[in-house]
This record gives sequence, structure tokens and C-alpha cells, in this order.
Amino acid sequence: MSEHDARAAARDRDAGLAKITSITWRAGAAGVAVAGLLTVALGHHAAAPAGQSRSAIVIPAQPPQPTAGSGQVISGAS
Amino acid sequence: MTAGEITGDTFEVFGTTAVLLVTSPDAAAAARSIADRLLAEVDLACSRFRPDSELSRLNAAGGEARTISPTFADLLAAALRAAKLTGGDVDPTCGRALTGLGYDRDFAAVRAAGDAPPRLTGPVGPVPGWRQVRLDHDARRVRLSGGAQLDLGATAKAWAADRCAEQIASSAGCGVLVSLGGDVAVAGDPPPDGWRVRVTDDHAAPASAAGQTVTISAGGLATSSTTVRAWTVGGRPVHHIIDPATGEPARSCWRTVSVAAGTCADANTASTAAIIRSAAAPAWLHDVGLPARLVRHDGTVETTAGWPRDDGPWEAA
Repeated sequence: MSEHDARAAARDRDAGLAKITSITWRAGAAGVAVAGLLTVALGHHAAAPAGQSRSAIVIPAQPPQPTAGSGQVISGAS
Repeated sequence: MTAGEITGDTFEVFGTTAVLLVTSPDAAAAARSIADRLLAEVDLACSRFRPDSELSRLNAAGGEARTISPTFADLLAAALRAAKLTGGDVDPTCGRALTGLGYDRDFAAVRAAGDAPPRLTGPVGPVPGWRQVRLDHDARRVRLSGGAQLDLGATAKAWAADRCAEQIASSAGCGVLVSLGGDVAVAGDPPPDGWRVRVTDDHAAPASAAGQTVTISAGGLATSSTTVRAWTVGGRPVHHIIDPATGEPARSCWRTVSVAAGTCADANTASTAAIIRSAAAPAWLHDVGLPARLVRHDGTVETTAGWPRDDGPWEAA
């Protein structure tokens, strides 16, 4: 191999390494970004305490039913 | 075990009246024991009027983080959930606003003192806001920032009613109704015709008080009103439902709102938010699907989402 060919091969090798490094960095950065997004999206679920994870006011199984007479208990302000 | 006969117990707690009903008389003593233990835990966790409560010590911590009990962590989580679900309308950082209005001790003492000068002068302004409460529930660590001072009055009683009803029903295997100052939670198998609840302005009113009787079989029912926990400061009538946007007692077109929900805590969250949201409340309750009864100051009634028709108007109880 001539000296010229050896230099060309070295340049090609360096260019290939640079490409691989660039791809590796991009893939790594994308992984970090995706992990960050997942943390933001799911983090509140992980932190939600037991019994408090419902994300909306819970409606009753059925509305109160009308009835006559007095109550067994009174609901009023205190 | 005797079944089918409802046994009742009435006692004082949190400066108000508690009612405990069970469908099995044999379970009454154990039920009361469970309620006493749990309510004592709640009082020690979040009373604003006990210097030894966790809430009082956190309010006095000057913004430093504190390790708290599991009960207080759950109570704080419930309060923050209520704030989040109402867009901040039900906010636990109203402590300083209430203190400024002279509500810094048991309400019976506030009322007995009569008219008093305001503790704060000048404009009050918005409360610090629920996002100033930094709770790590799993680590049981909490810190208040921005000068926030807690008051859990909007959620603690209802949360306690839910927990009492759940624990008693689970332990005794019978139907249970727990009312803490009119915040009603039921659990277990209800009586054949459901639990009969008289809905009115004041939980201490007689059974014949103006209002409406309904039945519920599960979940909770809560009532909020501007007419009961009310007093005067500097000659100005005030009440305890603070609008977080102003730091002042809410100006509402409703004197009383009752809501039924899947839990008593959710019912009380919605009834308090409805007072604060005023004229916008019926549309919100309808959209959420919550049955509610809203009473205007003239006694006329509006209902939402399947609440039984009410033929008011009603005089204040």
C-alpha cells in the first residue's frame, strides 16, 4: 500500500469513527429525552398515595332517592 | 348476631356532633371503639386548635420540612386531591385567612366571644395556594412554602367519616352510617330501604327542620352552608368558607349546597366548591354528574343530576 493509500484509509477510518460517535451520541440523547418524557408523564402515578389516585370526583352509584318522613340522620352544615 | 335492627350512638367530636348507626346491634360497641380510635388519630393529626397537633406544629415550622404520621399524610393527600379536582377552589392553605377573621379557636368560643375586631387589617388577598404544600406521601415528608398555613376543615371531617364507615363495615360485617357534623358516609349492606337522611341547613337542627328527606345506599352525602359557622368581625358578618382567590369569605348566591358522591370526601369537596363557584356551580355539577341540591338565600331550590325534585322554598333551619 502506498503512502497515499494509507492516508486515504486513515481518513476513511476517522470519518467512519466520527459517524459512529455522532450516531451514538444522537441515540443516547434521544434515549435520555424519551426517559425524561416518560418520567414526567408517569411520575405522578408513581407518586400517587394509596387511596388517592382517583383522578376525578367519584359520582354515586345512584342518586339519592325521595322518601317521606324524618331522617335517621341530618345532613347540614356544622 | 342480631341483624336488621338499627342501633344508634350520638357523641361530640371535633366541636360538633357525631352520629354512628349500625344495622347490627351486636356490633355497636366495637363500632364505637373503632370510631373513637380513628377520630382521636385525626384530631391529633390535624386540629388547628391543638398546639400539639401535627398541623399546628407544621404551621409553626417556618417552612422547614417535617416528617409526619401516616394519618396526617393521608389527610394532606386528601386535601391536595380536593384542591386539584376543583382547580384550587377548595384550598387547604386558608389557615391564615381564617385566623385573620378571628377563627383561631374552637368555633363555640369564637361565637361566644361575640363581635371582635379583625386580626388582620387591610386587604387580605389570595391565599398562598395548595401548590405551596410540598408533600412526599411515600416518605411522609411535608414542607410549607410561601407563608402557607394549613386548615383542613374542608376535607378532614368527611375523610374521617369515610374511613370510620369503611373500617367499621369491614370489621363488623354490617351496614354502617357515620355522620360527623352532617358529613355522612355509609358502607356495608344498607337497610332494605336505604339510609334516610334529612337534608337541611344546620346539622344540629331538629329532625322536623325545613328541608328534604332522601335515602342513600352507598357513598357519601355532605352539606356546606354559609349560614351556620358564621360570626361577626368588626360588625361585618363573615363565615368559614374562604374563597382562595380573595382570601375572604365566599360571596355565593347559595346559602346551602348538599351533594351526593361516591365518597363523603368527594361530596364535601363538591359542596364546598359549589358555594365558592356560586352561579357557575349547577352547570359544573351537571357536567361532573353529581346529584346536588342548591338552596338560594330566598329558600328556592335548584337540583342537578338526578337529585329528587324539591318543592321549596324553605325558610332557613
